[in-house]
Amino acid sequence: RKFKKTGLMSLLLLLAEVAFLSKYKCSCPVRFCNIFCSLSLSFLEYIVVFNGYFTAKARSDFISSALRDVDAVNWRIVRRDNPASDYPSDFEVVEIRQDTRSSLLTLQDHPYIKRVTPQRMVLRSLKLTDRNDTRWVQKWQSWQSSRPLRRTSLSLGSGFWHATGRHSSRRLLRAIPRHVAQILQADVLWQMGHTGSGVKVAVFDTGLSEKHPHFKNVKERTNWTNEKTLDDGLGHGTFVAGVIASMRECQGFAPDSELHIFRVFTNNQVSYTSWFLDAFNYAILKKIDVLNLSIGGPDFMDHPFVDKVWELTANKVIMVSAIGNDGPLYGTLNNPADQMDVIGVGGIDFEDNIARFSSRGMTTWELPGGYGRVKPDIVTYGSGVRGSGLKEGCRSLSGTSVASPVVAGAVTLLASTVLNRELVNPASMKQALIASARRLPGVNMFEQGHGKLDLLRAYQILNSYKPQASLSPSYIDLTECPYMWPYCSQPIYYGGMPAIVNVTILNGMGVTGRIVDKPIWQPYLPQNGDYVDVAVSYSPVLWPWAGYLAVSVSVAKKAASWEGIAQGHVMVTVASPAENDVSNSTMTSTVKLPVKVKIVPTPPRSKRILWDQYHNLRYPPGYFPRDNLRMKNDPLDWNGDHIHTNFRDMYQHLRSMGYFVEVLGAPITCFDASQYGTLLMVDSEEEYFPEEITKLKRDIDNGLSLIIFSDWYNTSVMRKVKFYDENTRQWWMPDTGGANVPALNDLIAVWGMAFSDGLYEGDFTMADHDMYYASGCSIARFPEDGIVIAQTLKDQGLEVLKQETAVVENVPVLGLYQTPSDGGGRIALYGDSNCIDDSHRQKDCFWLLDALLQYTSYSMTPPSLTHSKNRVVPPTGTDRPLPQRLEGNHLYRYSKVLEAHLGDPKPRPLPACPHLSWAKPQPLNETAPSNLWKHQKLLSVDMDKVVLPNVRLYRPQVRPLSPGESGAWDIPGGIMPGRYNQEVGQTIPMFAFLGAMVVLSFFVVQLTKAKSKPKRRKPRVKRPLYLQQQQQQTPHSGKNPTV
Amino acid sequence: MVFRRLLRKRWVLGVVFGLSLIYFLSSTLKQEERTIRDRTLLEVRDSDHHIQWKIKFILGNSSRQISQCRNSIQGKSLLTDELGYVCERKDLLVNGCCNVNAPSSSQHVCTSCLANGCCSIYEYCVSCCLQPDKQPLLEHFLNRAAEGFQNLFTAVEDHFELCLAKCRTSSQSVQHENTYRNPQAKYCYGESPPELLPI
Repeated sequence: RKFKKTGLMSLLLLLAEVAFLSKYKCSCPVRFCNIFCSLSLSFLEYIVVFNGYFTAKARSDFISSALRDVDAVNWRIVRRDNPASDYPSDFEVVEIRQDTRSSLLTLQDHPYIKRVTPQRMVLRSLKLTDRNDTRWVQKWQSWQSSRPLRRTSLSLGSGFWHATGRHSSRRLLRAIPRHVAQILQADVLWQMGHTGSGVKVAVFDTGLSEKHPHFKNVKERTNWTNEKTLDDGLGHGTFVAGVIASMRECQGFAPDSELHIFRVFTNNQVSYTSWFLDAFNYAILKKIDVLNLSIGGPDFMDHPFVDKVWELTANKVIMVSAIGNDGPLYGTLNNPADQMDVIGVGGIDFEDNIARFSSRGMTTWELPGGYGRVKPDIVTYGSGVRGSGLKEGCRSLSGTSVASPVVAGAVTLLASTVLNRELVNPASMKQALIASARRLPGVNMFEQGHGKLDLLRAYQILNSYKPQASLSPSYIDLTECPYMWPYCSQPIYYGGMPAIVNVTILNGMGVTGRIVDKPIWQPYLPQNGDYVDVAVSYSPVLWPWAGYLAVSVSVAKKAASWEGIAQGHVMVTVASPAENDVSNSTMTSTVKLPVKVKIVPTPPRSKRILWDQYHNLRYPPGYFPRDNLRMKNDPLDWNGDHIHTNFRDMYQHLRSMGYFVEVLGAPITCFDASQYGTLLMVDSEEEYFPEEITKLKRDIDNGLSLIIFSDWYNTSVMRKVKFYDENTRQWWMPDTGGANVPALNDLIAVWGMAFSDGLYEGDFTMADHDMYYASGCSIARFPEDGIVIAQTLKDQGLEVLKQETAVVENVPVLGLYQTPSDGGGRIALYGDSNCIDDSHRQKDCFWLLDALLQYTSYSMTPPSLTHSKNRVVPPTGTDRPLPQRLEGNHLYRYSKVLEAHLGDPKPRPLPACPHLSWAKPQPLNETAPSNLWKHQKLLSVDMDKVVLPNVRLYRPQVRPLSPGESGAWDIPGGIMPGRYNQEVGQTIPMFAFLGAMVVLSFFVVQLTKAKSKPKRRKPRVKRPLYLQQQQQQTPHSGKNPTV
Repeated sequence: MVFRRLLRKRWVLGVVFGLSLIYFLSSTLKQEERTIRDRTLLEVRDSDHHIQWKIKFILGNSSRQISQCRNSIQGKSLLTDELGYVCERKDLLVNGCCNVNAPSSSQHVCTSCLANGCCSIYEYCVSCCLQPDKQPLLEHFLNRAAEGFQNLFTAVEDHFELCLAKCRTSSQSVQHENTYRNPQAKYCYGESPPELLPI
C-alpha cells in the first residue's frame, strides 16, 4: 500500500500564497475561482450596524431617534428586498444626503448602534476560463493531484485552506453556512435529547492534543505511528474530531459521543499499512461503533488492508471514509471508500455543486471484464466547512476528508437515537443514509452517488427500520439522463456488447447472507419487456453485509430493427441466518430491481467502434508509469483507461459525432469483427495471445479497421524512472513504458509496421490544429504505400537520460494504411495517447480521432493530412533495431496473457470467452410505475410514524455584506466567531525562519567571497521527506519548475 | 569594546553561523535516524520491557456451563464461541454459543493450522488457541511482545479475547506492507510471524 506525502516545498509555497492572498481580499487566485470582484464606494449610502438583532421597525426607530435633529428629507433607509427582510437583522443601509458628517457622528453616538461605515458596492464579474484551457487545468492538477502512489490524508492539501475573509467578500448576500451541524439540522435531534451519548467513535487521523477545549468526552488516545506523541501536529485530526464531536464554537454533530483517537498518520503525512492493521485490531477489541477514516489511497490491491477493513465491518464497525480529492477526473476513487461495506463520502459545496476536487467515476476493481460499482455512496458538505482549530478556535477546511467526518458525525448522532442498537449495523446505517439522501439535479450517479445527506429523513427511516436487503442503485433506468450517465448516453441494440450494471446488495439482516435460488427476470409484456435479455451474476456469499449483483442487459434478436422502451424487473431474495431470533430460522427479504432500457435498431458497421479494454493494464498492482513523463508527481497510470473513466471526454466526443462505442473486456478472439467498423486500441500495456494476432490479421483482411494510439517505451528511460518506494520498502521498476510497444509491434508486424523506442515531446501544428506530443514514440516501420506524417519534435529520451536538449526533424508520428486485400480494412497509427486521455491532457486531438475514424470507417482519406507538407516517405526502419522488452520485467505477475516460465515468460493457454447465461424470463402482464426512482427505497419504512418535534425548515442565514471587516459578525446564538486566519498566522514563524536562512546564506556567500579560504559547507538538507521526490525528479531535474 | 569589535569580524560571524548550521544538520540527520529506527518499532525487540497483561486464564474446565457466550462475530460461514467450539452460523444458539450437538460443531480444533502456529482459517486459529495447553505459549508471547502491541494486549481481558486478538492479521503478517508474508496461513496464535514466502 502506498501513501502520499506532500512535498515540503509545495506546502511552503502554498502557505506563502495563502498568506499573500489574505492581504488582498478581493483578488481570488485563479486556481480557486474564476470570480474577480472590485470594490467601489457607493456615495451617500452608509451601513449602520447595531449591537444586536432587531426587527425592521425597531431599527427604523433607532435611526430616526438618532437622526431626529437631521431633516427627514435628508436621509432615508434604503429598502432591501430579500428573504432576510422578514427576520431580525443587525444592520441597516441608510442614505444620507446632507450634513453627512454630523449625521454620522450623531448616529454613532446612539447606544444601540455599533458603528457606521460607508456602503461599498461589490461588482462581481466572471472571468470565464475556457473549459479546454488545459494548461490551467494541468497546472492545477500538478499542484493538487495527490500522488496516487500513496495514501493521502484527504484534506485538500494546504492549497484549499480557505481564508474565510476572502471567501466572504465574494459570497455577498448568499446563504453563508455557519455550522455544518446546524445546516443539516442536527439541532432538531439535539433538542430531542440525542447527542451521540453511548456511541463509540474512532477517529483514525493525525491525533488530537490532550486539553483541546472543544472536546468533553475523549475516552482514549492511542498512537500507532513511529512518532512518540499523541498530539496532532497538522490540525487535520483535530479538525476531523471537531466536526464529529466538538461541543463549543464550531459545533460537531455528537458532542457526547465517546471519542477514541487513533493516531495513524504522522506529521510528515506518512503512514503504513502495518500501522493500520494493528490500530484496526485495537478498534475491533474496543468494540468501536463508528470509525472515520479521512484517508485514502488508490491501492485496492493491498490485500492485507482490504481484508482488514472487511474484518472491521464484519465486527459491526460502521466505517465512513473519504472518496478522495482527485477529481474532476473520473476513475479516481480511493480505497477504502470504494468498498461495498464502507460508506464512501464525496464532497459538495454549500451551493450543492459537486466539489471540483471530489473523486468520482466507477470503481475500477472489476475491469476489464466487468463494470464498476456506483461510488461515492453519498455526498455532503466538504468545501469551506468550519471545524476545530489545532489548539483552539475554528478554522475552515475543504476536501473530502471534511465531508467524511460530517457523515461520520451524522452517523454517530443517528446511532444514538435508535432504541434497539442491535438494529444498527454497517448495512442498515448505509441503507438509511442512501434511502434518505436527496438527489442533486443535473449530476450523475458516479459523481453524487445517492445524493446529499439528509440527517432528519435518515433519522426517520432508521427509527422505523426493519432488517432487510436493499439495492444500490435501487433501479436501472438506462434512459434517465443525466443521473444514469453513462448508460443513458448510448441506447442498446441487438448484437452489441451487453450493458452491465453492477448493483450492490446491502444486507441489513446479518453479516452474512446468500441469494436464495436464482434472481428472477420478469419482463413486463405490455412494455416490451420480452425484447430484452437479462443475465445476472452475483456474489455467492454476501459478506460482510454486502455483495454484488451484476445485471447484463442485451437486446433479443427479434428486436434487431425495433426502436422503443422496454421494461421489466429482476427479483432477488436474500436470506440470512437469524441472529437474535429463535434458533435454526433464517430471515429472508425480497427486493425488486426495476429495469428500463431504450432499444434502437442495430447501427451500421461503420458507426460502431470497439474499445479494447482487455489489453489496458494499470496500477495497482504493478508499476505502470504515466503516459506523460512530465507529470512526475503523479507517476502512475491508475485511472482504469476506460471510456467511462479517464477517456470520458473522448467517449463523449465520439457519441456526439454519432458513433456507438462498445467495450471489449475479453481477448480479441472473443468478438464478431463483422459487426464493427473500427477497433480502437489506446495505450495498451498487455501482451497478446498468438491466437489474437492471427485473428486480428484475419479480421482486418475481412474489413475491420484498426486505430492504435501508442505511447513511449524506452528501456533506458524505464530504468531511469524507477524509484525507491518508502512505503513498500522496495525498488519500483516499471513493467512497461507508457504502452507496451514490443507487444504492439508483434501485433502489427504482419503489415510491416512497427513503433520505435524513441521518446519525443513538443508542440507542433498539424492540419491547422495545435498539437502537443507528450512523451510519445515514433513510427519505425511502415509499408511504403502508406501515408506517413512527420513532425519536428524534441528528443525527450535524451533529455531524461542526459539532460540534454536536442531537436529531431521529421519524426514520423502518424501513419495511415489501406490493407491490400479485397475489402480489407485500414490501419492508423499514432505515437502518443495523451491528447485523448483526460488525465494531464494539454491539448486534445479529437479532431484527429475524427479524421482517423473517417478514414477507417468510411475510407475517406483526410485531404488535410495527405496533402500536408509534412508527409514523408514511410520509414523502413532498417537502420535502428526495434525496441525489445525490458529484461527482467515483472509484467507476467500482472498479465492475463503471460505466465512465469523458466527463461522468458510464455503465453498462457487462451482462456475461454466469457459466456453469459441468460435468465429464463418469467413474463408478467403488468405495467411499471412511470417514475422509477421515487418508489419506496426501503420496505416497511413508515416515515410518518416517526414524528419530528417542531421541525423548522432550514432558514438560510443570510449574511449581509459586511463593511470593511471580515471576521467580526455577530452570530445568533452567541457563538463566537472562529479564528479565520489561523493557518496564515502559523506561517509567520516559518517565514521568519526562511528569511533568517536566506540572510545567513547571504552572509556566508559574502564571507567566502572576501576570504577565499575554501572552508565552505554546502548545506545539503537531506530529509526522508525529500528522498523520494528527489529520486523521482532526477530524470528531469533542471527542466521542471519545482513546486 | 574588544568584544564588540570581535563580533564585527566576519570570521566570528561565520563561526557562529557554521556552528548553528552544524547543529541544524546534525539534529535533522539524527531525526532521520530516529525515524528509521522507529520504523522497526513493531518488530520484537530484545529488551527488558514487559507489557503489563492482566489476562485471567480459565483452565481445564472447558465443559463448564455458561448461559451466554461471546463468539467471533465476523465469520463468513464459521464462528468460534468462547468455549472453543467451532460451528457453522446456522448452528449458533440464541445465547451466542455453538450448538454442541450439531454435527458441524467441535471443540479446540486445529484444522488448517501449521506447526508454527499459523492457520489458514481464522475461526480454527481461535479455537486452537483456546486449547488449555496453549497457555504457556501465550504467556511467553505476552512477556516478550513488542512494544507496538502494548496497546492491544494490555487491553485484552481474558483468554478468549487474547485468542481473538492474537489470531488476527497484524503488522507481523505483512511484507512490503501490502503483501501477506504467507497468504495461505496468515492467522497465527503462536509466537512467530507467518512463514515468509517470496512474492
